Amino acid sequence: MEYLLTRLDEKIVSLKNESKKALVAYLVAGDPNINSTLELMHGFVNSGVDILEVGVPFTDPIAEGPIIQAAHDRALKNNTSLNDIFLLVKEFRKKNTETPIILMGYMNTFLANSQAIKKAHLSGTDAVLIVDVPGESNLEDLGIINKNLASISLIAPTTSEDRITKICDRSSGFIYYVTLRGVTGSSHLDISEAEQSINFIKSKTSLPVFAGFGIKSPDDALNLSKISDGIVIGSSIVQMIHEQSNQKEFKKIYNYLNEMAAAITR
Amino acid sequence: MDNLTNLPNADGFFGEYGGKFVPETLMHALKELDGTYSKLKNKPEFIEEIDQDLVRFVGRPSPLYFAKRLTDHYSGPQIWLKREDLNHTGAHKINNTVGQILLAKAMGKKRIIAETGAGQHGVATATVAARLGLECHIYMGAADVERQSLNVYRIKLLGAEVHAVDSGTATLKDALNEAMRDWVTNIEDTYYIIGSVTGPHPYPMIVRDFNAIVGRELRIQSVEQFSQYPDAIVACVGGGSNAMGIFYPFLEESKVELIGVEAAGSGLMSGKHAAPLNDGEPGILHGAKSYLMQDKNGQVLDTHSISAGLDYPGVGPEHSNLKDSGRANYIAVDDEEVLSSFHLVTKLEGIMPALETAHAFAALEHIAKNYKSDQHIVINVSGRGDKDINTVATMDGISLD
Repeated sequence: MEYLLTRLDEKIVSLKNESKKALVAYLVAGDPNINSTLELMHGFVNSGVDILEVGVPFTDPIAEGPIIQAAHDRALKNNTSLNDIFLLVKEFRKKNTETPIILMGYMNTFLANSQAIKKAHLSGTDAVLIVDVPGESNLEDLGIINKNLASISLIAPTTSEDRITKICDRSSGFIYYVTLRGVTGSSHLDISEAEQSINFIKSKTSLPVFAGFGIKSPDDALNLSKISDGIVIGSSIVQMIHEQSNQKEFKKIYNYLNEMAAAITR
Repeated sequence: MDNLTNLPNADGFFGEYGGKFVPETLMHALKELDGTYSKLKNKPEFIEEIDQDLVRFVGRPSPLYFAKRLTDHYSGPQIWLKREDLNHTGAHKINNTVGQILLAKAMGKKRIIAETGAGQHGVATATVAARLGLECHIYMGAADVERQSLNVYRIKLLGAEVHAVDSGTATLKDALNEAMRDWVTNIEDTYYIIGSVTGPHPYPMIVRDFNAIVGRELRIQSVEQFSQYPDAIVACVGGGSNAMGIFYPFLEESKVELIGVEAAGSGLMSGKHAAPLNDGEPGILHGAKSYLMQDKNGQVLDTHSISAGLDYPGVGPEHSNLKDSGRANYIAVDDEEVLSSFHLVTKLEGIMPALETAHAFAALEHIAKNYKSDQHIVINVSGRGDKDINTVATMDGISLD
């Protein structure tokens, strides 16, 4: 990784130098429509978001709770494809060349698009997180390895110690720690369990560990940021985007993100 | 030809198909299940317990029955029926649940979940859960709850809770999505009894192994009753568990032709069907790589079939490998052919097949002419048709109210 610093690595180094925790925000591309997604991405960055996680909609997103599932359905009603998302990233990069972008999705949409990973890189994407590809899998067989693109893996409370080691060896960018047993947006946060696991992960890798799934309030954000290098917020934002989508007025979301950003720097 | 019987490999692949494409939270549970199954499957006490249940609770062996009037009707090969419809609860599905519930017990799980399409797997799961006094939740697409209301009521009578799934297409695939989400959430105390040879490794292997009793019995019965192995075995394929169960013990018998029958729905050309092996491309859904009905962007397509049990866009990974290797052939028959076959078999043989099973019978219209009168075809009668009488009446324009 040292010889090819991606935008994501640079961001991680600069956060570390400033002793700052990362705020990662998720949204589904194409919900409510692709133009709003572009506007929201810029708005997120202006509200203190460090890294953008862009959901690639899929018909059968088995790791998602009802809120994000519904967003995938809405995005698919707009026929949002991976190619549309590459164009979205390209458009975003016209005004922002610094904020890292991670595409998060399911393997089948990447399999169906020949050279998806190469196109992702060329569009200005920095990393991919494929939810249904376990971290120790041989990603090269699946065409996912690209030296210009970080490969983010999930580690869950149920991940065994020997697999944590293997996943850490295979990962780049950062480790995404799933804070709970459940789908996205659930509410069974167990901070002490998360702390133990994150400490173990950190004993196995020098990569930063971000925590996500189930973070809703500034308190959740504060508590988790104390034990990790950053937090990921998804369902609560996706819900707000949906609620505001008629008037296309996203101020409420930006205020929320500002609050979350403030919480983790406390 | 490679040895097909020794599959899957340790990573769960049948050739290039199968594997474990699941969210991280499930990986540990799959490994735990794989470990438990490998440890138990050759243990004499475990085998004995399953054998006892299959004989005394399920009513095995199921007969191999000569269908005389059907044979006369086609005036081609001798047609024999493997009577899985006579099993307790009325279908082959119980073979799998009787085995998996013992795995759940061995693993100390207190809560059972399952998905169901036609409701047969839901009934078979609720049945074994009731017998062991375990809490049971069945996920079923809202559209299927509607068209299989009889089975929904049976499941409730057995003490299980039915969760109607409204998301997506509200059919079997969405029920599977929801069951997986439940499993991710309740991973510690919950055992997921997958009902077909689909899903992540080790499920396709486990469900096949528990259904392979059908093929093993047929090896013995065919020799006893007509002094040879069948010339061809025909079975319907949705996820493909009844087909895999009867095919598997014959994979190395290269003279035995294996024919799977998919649901062509309104016709293969219409796009409204559920025949991924005939008209799909390899892809990844529900934890495994296999043939899949999908659009050019990799989005899973809506399916259509008259039978809820076959209304699924994917298929078990082992079938995909059997297709590519040429060991099995897969054809498709449409809803109309199925309905007329349902009536034909009911009237000629006094056996009312499930609409899923009627697909296998409908294949006779296409293939019977290829065989001579001294040849033997076995149809796997995967289930009985009582559950489908509302659908059949509607199709025939008859009101039962």
